[in-house]
Amino acid sequence: MVAANILIVDNCKIFIENTVNAFSQIGIKSTLCFAENDSKAWSMLHGKNKLLPLPKIMLIDINAEGINGIDLINKIRFDFELKSILIFVVSNIDDVEKKCDALNLNIAGYMHKPSEKGEIVAFFSILNDYWNSIEFSR
Amino acid sequence: MIQKLVNILLVEDDEVDVMNVKRAFTKNNIKNELFVAGNGVEALDMLRSSIIPLPRIIILDINMPKMNGIEFLKIIREDENLKNISVFVMTTSNEDSDKINAYNLNVAGYILKPLSFEKFINSVATLKNFWSLCEM
Repeated sequence: MVAANILIVDNCKIFIENTVNAFSQIGIKSTLCFAENDSKAWSMLHGKNKLLPLPKIMLIDINAEGINGIDLINKIRFDFELKSILIFVVSNIDDVEKKCDALNLNIAGYMHKPSEKGEIVAFFSILNDYWNSIEFSR
Repeated sequence: MIQKLVNILLVEDDEVDVMNVKRAFTKNNIKNELFVAGNGVEALDMLRSSIIPLPRIIILDINMPKMNGIEFLKIIREDENLKNISVFVMTTSNEDSDKINAYNLNVAGYILKPLSFEKFINSVATLKNFWSLCEM
């Protein structure tokens, strides 16, 4: 996998902490970046303070309070520089309408959000294997 | 995650590759129903005429006669009934232009066909594990 930034849009401190630990336990080399809501994420993707290199992978908790995930994905899909980002959506709430909206915006996967430490390691282990098995453009 | 098995459409012109995918599915105990189209034109016919139940996943080759994978992707992304299907490219093309075009059309992954069958089985196993995380 290309050593690129991975941007996670989430505001759950425990999930973020467990994700950082899981990345180091699994040995994922990419740089992890976090945004606590959609507007912070957008400012990391767009404008003079954007992340460089731009992330090729994003993970968004679509049902977290204060995160308008669908709006963010929509903006990404209409931006020439950003539209190719692989977006993985996680949620621990069953919201059929949002799931449908996300799938219509061609996310790479809609997944149940793991909560226990062990579950989070297993989750990122599978995702990391997948990220390593696919090609990215240069 | 226990969920209904979704249908998969393989769009591939090479019969050996079709056989390899089928064998790799069997080896990995993938029980999803697999339909096969020989090129983009045939795949579009199958999807639009309801000859097959609508698949949630398409495995797509790039270099094919009549209509290649990128042309096919462009068409389904503009079709209201087909645009939300998850597409995984599986190809021998290592061209950066193909990768860029495929990701701009929001494929869920671009996989280079491994040269050995053993590695091919492993690639399909990785895909299976990833699909097991996803709610389709």
